[in-house]
Amino acid sequence: MTGIPYSEALVNYQSAKSRDLPESDMATDELLQAFHPDYREGSLVSLKVGPNQGDKCHRELAGLLQSDARIDEADLAGATIVETDVLVIGGGGAGCAAALMAEQSGARVIMATKLRLGDSNTVMAEGGIQASIERGDTPQMHLDDTLKAGHNRGDRKLVSQMVMDAPDVIRWLIQQGMQFDLDEFGDLMTRRAGGTSADRVVYYRDYTGLEMMRALRESVRNSKIDVWDYSPVVELMSNESGHCAGAVISNLKDCSYVLIEARSVILATGGIGRMHLNGFPTSNHFGATGDGLVLAYRLGAQLRDLDSFQYHPTGLAYPHHLAGTLITEGVRSAGAHLLNGLGERFVDELMTRDHVSAAILRECAEGRGVRVDENTAGVWLDTPGVERKTPGILKERLPKLVELGRKCGINPAEMPLLVYPTLHYQNGGIVIDENGLSTVPGLYCVGEVSGGIHGRNRIMGNALLEIISFGRQAGIKAAEMTHGRGHKKVTIGHLSKLRRELAVAGMPMDVKGPMLFPECAKFEKDADYEGFRRKKQ
Amino acid sequence: MTDKHNMSEINERLVNVTIDGKAITAPASLSTIQALWHAGYPRIKSVGCLEGVCGSCRVLVRREGNSEVKTQLGCQTLIEEGMQVMFLVFPRPTHHTYKLENINSSWEVQTKFHKIFPEASHCRECGGCNASCPKGIDVMRGVELAAKGRFREAGELFVECVMCDLCLTACPELIAPNHVGLFSRRVTAYFHIRPSNLIRRLEGLQRGKFQVTEE
Ligand SMILES: Cc1cc2nc3c(=O)[nH]c(=O)nc-3n(C[C@H](O)[C@H](O)[C@H](O)COP(=O)(O)OP(=O)(O)OC[C@H]3O[C@@H](n4cnc5c(N)ncnc54)[C@H](O)[C@@H]3O)c2cc1C
Ligand code: SF4
Ligand code: SF4
Ligand code: FES
Repeated sequence: MTGIPYSEALVNYQSAKSRDLPESDMATDELLQAFHPDYREGSLVSLKVGPNQGDKCHRELAGLLQSDARIDEADLAGATIVETDVLVIGGGGAGCAAALMAEQSGARVIMATKLRLGDSNTVMAEGGIQASIERGDTPQMHLDDTLKAGHNRGDRKLVSQMVMDAPDVIRWLIQQGMQFDLDEFGDLMTRRAGGTSADRVVYYRDYTGLEMMRALRESVRNSKIDVWDYSPVVELMSNESGHCAGAVISNLKDCSYVLIEARSVILATGGIGRMHLNGFPTSNHFGATGDGLVLAYRLGAQLRDLDSFQYHPTGLAYPHHLAGTLITEGVRSAGAHLLNGLGERFVDELMTRDHVSAAILRECAEGRGVRVDENTAGVWLDTPGVERKTPGILKERLPKLVELGRKCGINPAEMPLLVYPTLHYQNGGIVIDENGLSTVPGLYCVGEVSGGIHGRNRIMGNALLEIISFGRQAGIKAAEMTHGRGHKKVTIGHLSKLRRELAVAGMPMDVKGPMLFPECAKFEKDADYEGFRRKKQ
Repeated sequence: MTDKHNMSEINERLVNVTIDGKAITAPASLSTIQALWHAGYPRIKSVGCLEGVCGSCRVLVRREGNSEVKTQLGCQTLIEEGMQVMFLVFPRPTHHTYKLENINSSWEVQTKFHKIFPEASHCRECGGCNASCPKGIDVMRGVELAAKGRFREAGELFVECVMCDLCLTACPELIAPNHVGLFSRRVTAYFHIRPSNLIRRLEGLQRGKFQVTEE
């Protein structure tokens, strides 16, 4: 990568006098077209099979959406069958909220999750959660900000419901035992997200997700919900009329398949960061491999905005082993500037994330980035500047940032951090209605796996809001379905159709999905699982 | 101030470690989990956020020339020459169970606490929990404060707790100190967080004061 060598850039950083905003910045559309990874040439293809046939989709994701299944009927011979009312797939915030509400509504609930309960993107969230509660703010402004930031591609109905529900989501979280940062009078503190018109993000330090997950996990553990951890779902099942009716899980503890038959299924498997689209590093947890999209698509669920992903502007660029680690937007909300290798500002830091990321990529592409080695460049995040403005703020409000600095061997109060965009969030996903129901009957989808709220760009704090708001709603609705008649026959019959279609379209049959684990983990080679398909007898 | 150029040179240095009995040579900049992957060994159990917040990656670590065995988070532990690492198996869940809704008022919290966590008042101050905590939390003090009914203060100590359960495993009295800490935090929110700005907005919404235009 070209750019200004590190030590030279450091001198420029220290000697720069003024930190004025650049006079003219490119218009957002123009900037995105030229520099945002979503618009990179060759990164999009048309889907050839399935409900979104003909739609544009990211190349790597398309490969998995049109992949062969990992199992067939023969694998399931003799497998244990377990029966329940509601099956929740995924143990992040959305899954927990859904499971808790379904249980509270009287349903028997099994929650199957790939790793441990709580291993998720939720636990990693830092910045906070949106709810319009301040005097100068209204749900209408929240709605307008969300739609505008999403380039008017969000679903107005879904967003309206979510913004009206937001204050109650915060109340519910407090009742689950989640703390928030309060001012001296006990009011909720708020901060502003990039691209919004009011201070609307409530938070707990920069540990919002950890605090949320701790409380929800404890609620779930102390309920009647039956939690199955280390139980990734490898396929969904349906009944005689195409109604989703359960799932096949692969138990990682004893390497066996188990069939869970359920009256309704709630899919809450989160995002895709570990697919490393366009070769970008990611901020996501180890299990964020887009499984839910693949599972639902095969069963016939409509997806949307498969060409739109969020690259968070401030991923750590260096040191290498921490590349991609997120630095919360809260740092920019607190007033931190972004500076290029010349020590100059180049963008309004509180523009939307896609805009800021594209601006960073522009600086690096045009040689004004800070260069570390052939493969690594970035720009400065001026944390010492924030500390100067408000002494003590880093330690008090952003302890996770200070901890990250320690791991890099630098003190962010004295030295700026080097940042570069990191693959952060899947903007689109499975099409849902106001109850979180997908286009497949009996299949609810909530959280990051669903689409429609964020349009083509998400603002900080709306994801945590979405997972609880829609998670709760879907939990209640899924529990209602238990009154209907049971299924006659529950199978993975949809796979024969899938295989036929893949063959007709000439797709390679050697790609297996869902991905389940990143390649680096060498899962397929694990002696414990013997290549996963051959179970131990 | 660290000069990053020097740092990157140091990081490329190869070191020899033993992880789960396997001899591995890998760059010193890698964590124990990354080193396993780097050497071609599979590892999915005990891996989560890779960022030190989920508490999955519990490891036992012994450093060269030191007989002491420490418990740490594997994703946060960079490998060092001669280090021996062992991943721990899944923790057993705690036997304590409670529901916040079953505590009728804040006057009852102390009584209920001792019913739910009867062992907490038997802490023998052995310090096992503190020694095992990878986040450096004063767990023992937290248990002591909670047993005295000072829940807000106790909870404050557990801000960075990632629920790795290492202290739970270490405690000879089966106190489940991390759950004591979390209980303390949760009752504080449940009974004492009553923000007027939130409540005012909830009332407004209930009265239909705020509508959004759905075209
Ligand atoms: C570092 C970071 C910081 C963030 N900060 C913020 C923030 O400040 N504010 C905000 O609003 N949003 C933030 N986000 C986004 C937000 O955290 C996520 O979008 C949200 O938490 C997703 O919740 P979820 O429940 O849908 O998915 P997750 O929390 O990711 O949970 C998904 C669950 O599904 C499981 N799973 C996956 N595949 C399978 C399978 N095949 N079978 C069974 N289980 C499976 C996973 O193991 C996991 O338990 C952040 C994200 C990251 C990564
Ligand atoms: S208090 Fe216990 S559970 Fe929490 S981080 Fe420390 S050892 Fe882990
Ligand atoms: S390990 Fe248990 S008994 Fe020992 S100090 Fe900690 S809480 Fe007390
Ligand atoms: S993997 Fe989450 S704490 Fe180490």
